[in-house]
Amino acid sequence: MKKVISLFTLFLLVSICMNAQKIYGTRNGKISFTAPKDEDVTAVNNEVVSRLSDKGDISFSLLLKGFKFAYAEMQTHFNNDYLQSNQFPRADFKGNITNIKTVDFTKDGNYKVAVTGNLTLHGVTKPITVNGIISVKAGKPSANAQFIIVMKDFNIDAATVTNQVNAVINCVYQ
Amino acid sequence: MKKWTKIILLLIAIVAVTGGIMVYRIFTKPHRDVSSEAGVKMTAQQLFNAFKADEATANTRYLDKAIELNGEVLDQSTNQDGQSVVNFKTDDPFFVINCTFKTHPGELKPNSTITFKGICTGYIPDANVVINEGVLVGGY
Repeated sequence: MKKVISLFTLFLLVSICMNAQKIYGTRNGKISFTAPKDEDVTAVNNEVVSRLSDKGDISFSLLLKGFKFAYAEMQTHFNNDYLQSNQFPRADFKGNITNIKTVDFTKDGNYKVAVTGNLTLHGVTKPITVNGIISVKAGKPSANAQFIIVMKDFNIDAATVTNQVNAVINCVYQ
Repeated sequence: MKKWTKIILLLIAIVAVTGGIMVYRIFTKPHRDVSSEAGVKMTAQQLFNAFKADEATANTRYLDKAIELNGEVLDQSTNQDGQSVVNFKTDDPFFVINCTFKTHPGELKPNSTITFKGICTGYIPDANVVINEGVLVGGY
């Protein structure tokens, strides 16, 4: 059995090396959002798990209860009344950078990228396309983007507060 | 003044006062302070096992709860907003309990055993369980 396991491990290592894919990750990336017409409605999440491969795969996962608002009462409404975050605790995005070849991970700089993929929020999965920037600084990449999330696209009824939010992604990879 | 004008004025006053109280509450309700709560005492490994075995059940048990977590420190870092973050080890090398402190706990050495109390926000498969708004309870 031990031999089988070590052979399997060897096979795994060889196949990983042959693919030679480098994956950058963070457990503490940052995503925030603001309601465009009411800047008091703003929240930040500092526990975003994100992975970025130099082949262009990119993913983000966060927990809705991790969004911190300036006002505690808003945080309660957000979780209980609008996002039902006991029922849907997590939001996930999985996609890829369509022009990954323009990004040089070995050279410092800001690279414009287009990302397409699926965003799952409030139990609804929708394809989205977002333009962003991959910045490389001293060998460490980071992902930055801004985009609009329309509440009704994800069956979120927050009409008394806002119909859409501006989401801002800022994840520095390790 | 006619009777109905009085009634309307009274109604307006009631609505205004209720609205005022609601707005006042939104802007003055204090944030949750976990240091004054009794936490669910468990180890980092136990919390990981619970989520790995059955996420839905673990969510009903631990989501939004104060957790007093005992475990071995894998590493300490600073997040993008300057808060201190500690990852606790589990028996899975790719999986940790990711804990963010409300106030900086000072330097925590890798492999030391500490007790941390915070609010559990949930589980991210293949990555970590998240606890935030935390404080150091002991073992430093």
